[in-house]
Amino acid sequence: MAEVLNNENQKSENILEVRNLRKCFPLKKTMTGKVTQELVAVDDVSFTLKAGETLGIVGESGCGKTTLGRTILKLHKSSGGKIIFDGVDITDLKPKQMREIRKQMQIIFQDPYSSLPPRSTVGGILSEPVSVHKIVPKGEVKDYVLDLMEKCGLRDYYYERYPHEFSGGQRQRICIARALSVKPKLVICDEPVSALDVSIQAQIINLLKQLQKDMNLTYVFISHDLSVVKFISDKIGVMYLGSMVEFGTKEDIFANPLHPYTQALFSAIPQPDPDLKMNRIILKGDIPSPANPPKGCRFHTRCPYATDKCKEEVPEYKDYGNGHFVACHLLQK
Amino acid sequence: MEEQTKVETTQTNDTEAPLDKNVRLMSPTRMVVRRFFRSRLSIVGLIMVVSLFLFSFVGPYFVADLPDEVVQTDANGNPILDENGDPIITYVYHDDDGKWGEIELDKRGMTEYAVSETTYTVNGITYTLRQTTETNIEDNMLAPPSGDHILGTDNQGYDIFVRLMYGGRISLIVSFLAVFLITVLGVIMGGIAGYFGGFIDNIIMRVCDILICLPGIPILLIISTILDASDIDAKYRIYLLMIYLTFISWPGTARLVRGQILSLREQEYMVAAEAMGYSVPRKIFKHLVPNVMPQLIVSMSLSLGSMILYEATLSYLNLGVKAPYAAWGTMINIISQDQDILQNHLNVWVPAGICIVVAVLGFNFIGDGLRDALDPKARR
Amino acid sequence: MSKIKNANRLTGKEVRAIAKQNKKIIRKLEAYKNRKAEETEYLGHMSKPENILEIDNLHTYFFTEQGVVKAVNGVSFDIPKNTTVGVVGESGCGKSVTSMSVMRLIQGPTGQIYSGSIRFNAKLDNGETKVYDIAKMPMDDIHKIRGNQIAMIFQEPMTSLNPVFTIGQQLDEVTFINHPEATKEDAKAKSLEMLDLVGIAMPERVYDAYPHELSGGMRQRVMISMALASDPRLIIADEPTTALDVTIQAQILDLLRDLKTRIDGSIMLITHDLGIIAEMADYVVVMYAGRVIEKGPVSEIFHNPLHPYTIGLQKSKPTLNSDSDTLFNIPGNVPNPVNMPNHCYFKERCGKCIGKCSGEYPQMFEVTPNHFVACHLYGKEDQNG
Repeated sequence: MAEVLNNENQKSENILEVRNLRKCFPLKKTMTGKVTQELVAVDDVSFTLKAGETLGIVGESGCGKTTLGRTILKLHKSSGGKIIFDGVDITDLKPKQMREIRKQMQIIFQDPYSSLPPRSTVGGILSEPVSVHKIVPKGEVKDYVLDLMEKCGLRDYYYERYPHEFSGGQRQRICIARALSVKPKLVICDEPVSALDVSIQAQIINLLKQLQKDMNLTYVFISHDLSVVKFISDKIGVMYLGSMVEFGTKEDIFANPLHPYTQALFSAIPQPDPDLKMNRIILKGDIPSPANPPKGCRFHTRCPYATDKCKEEVPEYKDYGNGHFVACHLLQK
Repeated sequence: MEEQTKVETTQTNDTEAPLDKNVRLMSPTRMVVRRFFRSRLSIVGLIMVVSLFLFSFVGPYFVADLPDEVVQTDANGNPILDENGDPIITYVYHDDDGKWGEIELDKRGMTEYAVSETTYTVNGITYTLRQTTETNIEDNMLAPPSGDHILGTDNQGYDIFVRLMYGGRISLIVSFLAVFLITVLGVIMGGIAGYFGGFIDNIIMRVCDILICLPGIPILLIISTILDASDIDAKYRIYLLMIYLTFISWPGTARLVRGQILSLREQEYMVAAEAMGYSVPRKIFKHLVPNVMPQLIVSMSLSLGSMILYEATLSYLNLGVKAPYAAWGTMINIISQDQDILQNHLNVWVPAGICIVVAVLGFNFIGDGLRDALDPKARR
Repeated sequence: MSKIKNANRLTGKEVRAIAKQNKKIIRKLEAYKNRKAEETEYLGHMSKPENILEIDNLHTYFFTEQGVVKAVNGVSFDIPKNTTVGVVGESGCGKSVTSMSVMRLIQGPTGQIYSGSIRFNAKLDNGETKVYDIAKMPMDDIHKIRGNQIAMIFQEPMTSLNPVFTIGQQLDEVTFINHPEATKEDAKAKSLEMLDLVGIAMPERVYDAYPHELSGGMRQRVMISMALASDPRLIIADEPTTALDVTIQAQILDLLRDLKTRIDGSIMLITHDLGIIAEMADYVVVMYAGRVIEKGPVSEIFHNPLHPYTIGLQKSKPTLNSDSDTLFNIPGNVPNPVNMPNHCYFKERCGKCIGKCSGEYPQMFEVTPNHFVACHLYGKEDQNG
């Protein structure tokens, strides 16, 4: 009895569990369709996320953070590992079974200009998912949508307007409203504020936080900007070239960043204070191409502390206490 | 500090209004209409096409006053029979300006029956010689332009002006029909190929390649010969040929649609539609196809012009519409029968040529205008 | 169910009236732009000799079908010699349009410099200096300053390089334009020197590479070297690091800071990121909805911001050091600058409105030397007159 209860608890607590997730894209194929070269976009990523929490994923372009988000949603087929959503293993679900689960997990994109269909009105965009998934009875769709628009800070006369008539911030509000229209449990926010102005960024982040409280949402918040992630996340994962290099609670990551890459990321952000002369760690060189990643620790080509061991061996992704995972040889001494 | 923030967040909706209300935008429809009419050429094109339509479809109601059939009788009221024993029929017009309809010939004076009486007095006896002369005047062919025939008649006695109208009907209907069929087929095939990709895409695109490789005109010649042999009504010939044209022309549209869909499929709003769990037909026909529409409309209006040209070519090669029905191409075809017409009777074939040029130019102007109007990125 | 019909659209009549007006003005301005003129017609003189660029009451409008967009609406600021002036503002505030106006790259016929002057202190080859009023220059004479006296670094390093030529060919071209007498070897030597200057490790290899073979950061370095190749008096950097990753951005900013000390010229740095401004600029211009709302030395702007917008902008930028749970935000949206009312544009979003704010647009007021602000909270009664 106790075990069953425990299981139930487990189920309701961990809304998302990702185990050793891997995603490869074929780069070259032979005539017979055999893959000869592939790009490993996400390599062996694992984490768990409790309901109502926010996981921030930070990394630079090409680190696989967007692919990770889309693979969790099964917009890409995973090449290995498991995704357990709300107690259900969705890794190998068929498209038809997946369609039911879709409405429970939604996505918000970075570019509010290309993520809205240009030839539908705002009303059309927002009511379509509601009527397709029969969220409310037919007659109430419009009132439901108007209510949702108000919640997301959109005025009612926008209903008849087209996406191109709005500014970036308003479009992002429309995107949020669309994602929330099907009452999801998990929302993947793929750089939702990086295309927006500073003052609008703050509005959208606050809106997301407010909605999280009201609707009990769980977020996976993907961004390249550590300072944005800080405001919204409970846990943070730092990715580099497809793999998670550091993972932990916000407090741990910010107070005590262990991986050299995380440290460099922190110091790279320009601070709005002219007198603050930071002792900046400037990483040398470019991010290697994910199609041809370096051997050993993937960061060793740019790491200021790289040793010979780093060039040969892949560091283990280990817990250094309190769920603070780091993959670095330096710490193992 | 925190309290203050909250207050301001809730204020957002109210404070946003005043400045925002100042900005009033044009509705998208109005924007397209304005952009279209801003270009003078597209207005010219529209005028050209509309007037051709009026001419062809409304014109006949004003001119086609069909004549009554009257049986020719001799002086005694008996019908005059031709050599086959059938009564000879002539046409009587309600008034002097009567015009001809679609397939009527001007047979006025084709045969004139004159009865002359000659009185002889021979030996006190008066003989009356009643003589019926049948004067076979040339058909009213190649009549110069006159009040009766605005553009004269052709070598068979058809009124050219009226024939232009009826010819226009056939030419326009046929090209619209063909373009419609091409578009439907192209959208379906291109949509399927673009959306599903992979194996299906490969098959459809290879079929397209093969169809594009086919030599169109030689096959047409063969089909036309078959049609000639198989006794099909002249009226339906052209439609059959248009179906053939559709069959060999849809790959162009299919490629256009496929290309568009391939690029649209990668757009984030399609990923969003996928994440929403929409069904495949909904994604193709509610999200993808409407976004291909602008390009489709443009390509449709451009191919309308080329279909008219195609039709004219077919008719000119005597593969298309056959007498007594007319099309613009058939009307030009007359010059191939008679050198004299080419040189001396410009009124017979030039008007049809002008109609073709006007129609093709008109559709192309409209197509260009629409392209500029529907492309939101186009700037002038 | 309520039917919402009012989408707040323009009527057909209004649209026609707008189009008619636009046509008239555009024709006049286009004629002025394309006229032939003697050099004396657009010579001017600087109000302060140490300035390299003086923008004075510049108005750049876009005559769109929806109405006149006053993208730059009375902007004035100076760029002194050997300084970096940072122009900061959100999208649509007119910061890019200002820089495009300086380069005379505004896309006609919709976009036009309506009035104002842009005085530029040009240094000719023979060493003498001349002051050109760029806003009054006819298009035919723009080549006198564009590219050689003023160079520009764009935001998108991906699209600003021509993909069919090698980096070397594109760099050499810059040299040939400025020094037509140069030989191929001279040009190559100069190009390699430039590539070396921007910290490219293997200039020889990059010289023969095509743009697609380089990463974003490398391309931006190449763009910078191209801008430097003509020894410009002024470099306009329009969001030079926005498209780059943070660690690469740090590299490029480091490079720009280093170059600043090594070249004899000024930099006009346009960005939306206050952090970059704080690091790079000596003097800051804050723009909002086509107007300058505050300008001053960098330390003044960051330690003593006066305009509520500047304050809000600084507060809403999330920083790593702060610990608060929610972000401060400025409510509302950046206004679309069509049909702007004649009062402070920030009024609707401002938390510190006073009665005077409904009145006329506030004048620039000098609070401390060189620190100007356009806000009724600071101006004196008589200065608003």
